[in-house]
Amino acid sequence: MNAPHVRRAAVTGIGVVAPNGTSTDAFWKATQEGVSILDRVTREGCEHLPLRVAGEVRSFDASAAVEERYLVQTDRFTHFAMAAADLALTDARLGQADVDGAPFSLGVVTAAGSGGGEFGQRELQRLWGKGSRFVGPYQSIAWFYAASTGQISIRRGFKGPCSVVAADEAGGLDALAHAARAVQRGTDAIMAGSTEAPLAPYSMVCQLGYEELSTAEDPARAYLPFTEGARGFVPAEGGAMLVVEEETRARERGVPVRAVIAGHAATFTGASRWELSRDGLAQAIRGALREARCAPEEVDVVFADALGVPEADRAEALAITDALGPHGRQVPVTAPKTGTGRGYCAAPVLDTAAAVLAMEHGLIPPTPNVFDICHDLDLVTGRARAAEPRTALVLSRGLMGSNSALVLRLAS
Amino acid sequence: MSASITLEELAELMKQAAGITVAPQDLEEQYDSAFDSLGLDSLGLLGIVGELENRHGTPMPPDAERCKTPRQFLDLVNSTLMAGA
Repeated sequence: MNAPHVRRAAVTGIGVVAPNGTSTDAFWKATQEGVSILDRVTREGCEHLPLRVAGEVRSFDASAAVEERYLVQTDRFTHFAMAAADLALTDARLGQADVDGAPFSLGVVTAAGSGGGEFGQRELQRLWGKGSRFVGPYQSIAWFYAASTGQISIRRGFKGPCSVVAADEAGGLDALAHAARAVQRGTDAIMAGSTEAPLAPYSMVCQLGYEELSTAEDPARAYLPFTEGARGFVPAEGGAMLVVEEETRARERGVPVRAVIAGHAATFTGASRWELSRDGLAQAIRGALREARCAPEEVDVVFADALGVPEADRAEALAITDALGPHGRQVPVTAPKTGTGRGYCAAPVLDTAAAVLAMEHGLIPPTPNVFDICHDLDLVTGRARAAEPRTALVLSRGLMGSNSALVLRLAS
Repeated sequence: MSASITLEELAELMKQAAGITVAPQDLEEQYDSAFDSLGLDSLGLLGIVGELENRHGTPMPPDAERCKTPRQFLDLVNSTLMAGA
């Protein structure tokens, strides 16, 4: 008897709408060049708030990306998600005819931390300014964390397994793992990822209570993880959607298998208890490596969570060496998000996109703005480093205490 | 404000409340088509009912948001407005 076919989940499409580029090519160019787009907050109604620096997506034209009905009925975070999903479908060479031909074999999984805050603020202002009769019915769905999954499913006709992961920032990685599991169980492909739009007044005020938030004025010094100058993180908007597809099916379709999602694990160690995240993150790394049947020495690059809070940075640096042993001090570590900001659940999905692109291009992107590391890590700074990474480890932690690790492998 | 809702006003409300663009003459041609086929979902129709109630300062019957076609909707809404006039 033949061995049963093992279904593996591959990345076959990448769609990026990020602060440093609203296409995957533009994102990768800026990422590998180490460009920092962090800048003063310019969104209307936010100028007076103590959060000065953020990663805004300035070159996104929602009216060019989505139909008018979605401009009226959904929030900016869903506009980003729809645009990124379209880019990912094109990248994976999946046309509407492919979707319509087998709608139940395609699903959607997203993660969201902030939901549709801008839409919600507008409707709540109507509530208090004019009265309940002036609140539009789409408020009932547009603000909700699940909105992007539902709207992508409706817009493109994906009728397979659809879900939403609510698991803190690390939920971005959990969503990709959830998609990989759905593919392993029998679904052909899942549109998976996260986009966020937390840079509107109401959403920003919600973030001001985070003690980990950087309120620095100088964009070049606002987000400096792993350094003596670490003073918190800079938030961002945008994100990425990936087509996670069964590997054999992708090969039959004749599309490139960009990388395989080989392993994942998640742990929880409590909100803002950064010292404890050392063990939690190390355990997540071990679990992800175990599932990927990957030895620590095989990890060629680590995309760090890089919160920019001294205790959290220390915990992450120690977790990497706890889990990888002596290799943890030698493996190249990078955090491209210091050039774009940290888009909550979307941040680790952008890191995953960058990890796939890094393996494809043989180039490890640098950590913009960051020099003079004060931890025992080989952080890639200054310029991109030529390498031949075949296995990438992506790490993410949430402000509420979740820790996740994802292992990606180049397909052999 | 006119006591009678026209096709033009319905088209304008569909655009404002749900982002659905339909020319009034197309709406007339599809007078008996389902709102679904015009791209208007139940939340969109609910928003139109709410906007009409605000504009005219009068409640619409509960059946208004359950109407399936432009004809059903305008007949019901206009008879309600006439009765209240």
